Amino acid sequence: MSNVAIVSGEIPPPRHDTFLAAVRKGYFATPGAAAVTSVCLALIALAVWTVFRWAVLDAVWSSGGPNVCQQATGACWAVIAARWRLIFFGLYPYDEQWRSALACAAILATVAVSCFPFSWSATRLPLVWIAGYGVFYGLMRGGFLGLPTVLETQWGGLSLTLFVFSTVVVTGMPLAVCLALLRRSRLPVIARTVAVLIDGIRSLPLVAILFTAAIIIPYALPHFLVGDKLYRVIAGFSLFFAVYQAEIIRGGMQALPAGQEEAAHALGLNYWQTMSRIVLPQAFRHALPPTINQVVITFMETSLIVIIGFFEVMASGNAAFSTAEWSATYVEVYVFVAAIYFAFTFTLSRYGAYLERRLNVARH
Amino acid sequence: MNTQSGEIAVDVKSLAKFYGAHQVLFDVSLSVAAGEKIVICGPSGSGKSTLIRCLNKLEDHQAGTIRMLGTELNEDLANINEIRRDVGMVFQHFNLFPHLTVLENCVLAPMLVRRQDRRTAEEQAMLYLERVRIPQKAGSYPGELSGGQQQRVAIARALCMRPEIMLFDEPTSALDPEMISEVLDVMIELAQDGMTMLCVTHEMGFARKVADRVVFMDKGRIVEEAAPSDFFDNPRHERSKLFLSQILGH
Repeated sequence: MSNVAIVSGEIPPPRHDTFLAAVRKGYFATPGAAAVTSVCLALIALAVWTVFRWAVLDAVWSSGGPNVCQQATGACWAVIAARWRLIFFGLYPYDEQWRSALACAAILATVAVSCFPFSWSATRLPLVWIAGYGVFYGLMRGGFLGLPTVLETQWGGLSLTLFVFSTVVVTGMPLAVCLALLRRSRLPVIARTVAVLIDGIRSLPLVAILFTAAIIIPYALPHFLVGDKLYRVIAGFSLFFAVYQAEIIRGGMQALPAGQEEAAHALGLNYWQTMSRIVLPQAFRHALPPTINQVVITFMETSLIVIIGFFEVMASGNAAFSTAEWSATYVEVYVFVAAIYFAFTFTLSRYGAYLERRLNVARH
Repeated sequence: MNTQSGEIAVDVKSLAKFYGAHQVLFDVSLSVAAGEKIVICGPSGSGKSTLIRCLNKLEDHQAGTIRMLGTELNEDLANINEIRRDVGMVFQHFNLFPHLTVLENCVLAPMLVRRQDRRTAEEQAMLYLERVRIPQKAGSYPGELSGGQQQRVAIARALCMRPEIMLFDEPTSALDPEMISEVLDVMIELAQDGMTMLCVTHEMGFARKVADRVVFMDKGRIVEEAAPSDFFDNPRHERSKLFLSQILGH
């Protein structure tokens, strides 16, 4: 056997280490490495055990009231059982909260549907979102079929967070594409103006923009143009998202060799055909990781709308422990709210990873 | 706008081109009849690529006139798009669209620009892919092909627009040596079919075989224009002689 191998110049393929061998080689190769590994393992074990004991073993579950909690050493999940409707629905009227839940589901379903490649067409995507928003708005606002009207000022909790987030992304993304294209315009006046606009807005803090949209714009606009505070805030937020995203897209376009556009022009494609079929699809592939990043950050930043009086999920969480009886349970409430954020952002990043794999097939 | 043999396909008069203050083309005039094959050669920086890129307005010119298939190339966008439809171009670096399959690369322009339906466009694309001997790769992405294969797809993609004129901008310069002939073979067949061709290339064997005229450029000017046999065997200008001795000398 070995003779044959030598004659033909072949050697057996290298064997992969077994799991144990790999661990020994990677983490316990020298006494020093073994010591560091052991200490880290012990610390991790201690941390996991402490959290587990607090969150599960010593925890008070739904049955106990605030008094039981005061005696317990562990987490007081009873606060979630008692106050979850406030966290999820904010100040939305108690009897109508099923509408808020359904509206939430409608937005989630819309997001889910538009995540499938099947929906990615210029006709399907807008239709899906118009339908989704129609259902959301009808349910939340009411005022027909015997549903009592609930004004935007009473909207709150998770459905408000999801509504603000998805609207910012859905309106901000096309705006970002427009800004990115305008910034590359061959007409210097347009390119410069847009560059100044983008850099100007990027140099302002989001909070300042939200304040401006909520409080200052009404003084500057004629009354019929003012609209509800919620939509002004979303518009300001969306502009903020768009200027960052525009730079991300522009970066993606700059990564393309000039030959791509030249080839498209040489085939007779006009500007829009070149942009929509050749430049933007490739730019988005290049810009996918920072785009997902930007979307996740935007989801987190929706909590800033609390400063102009909107009770999105974070602010509702704060309200949940702000009564005297639950005032000691802020850690539990924050953990719960964090878990909600984590569920969404983790899903977003997994989706981003899926997209990268899918689009990579067509690259190389 | 079917051109008959003998009609003027390309008519360039007193062309001048600047990059900023730097002039790269000086008083270039060139007339090409339908069906003619022209090879443009010259040392690097001589303006040969710039000239050919002016012919479908990938570059703007500052003085002189260019008439392609009887239509003048000016600032009129409609004219430019009409010309580009009928003038195919093959680039040194292929410039296939990497996010589209070979077949999608070939049907994109016929569907968008010529308004063909998908089936017609795909049938025609397969025809041309067979002609460049690469139909089995129709479903592949450009990144999965070798350089020679990519360049043959690029030729098929240009042909799918059924152009009257084909421009080649150093089509074999970016290829590994063993892949050059597969691309040249396709170009020779195209020439034998009567396509009007303008090729910027250093492949002198190809020039001898198919060119009706060789145009030698240096420093932004056309220095010599002659039949291949005259050009290679009796170059009249010192610079042509020097150039030929440099590329054929070893």
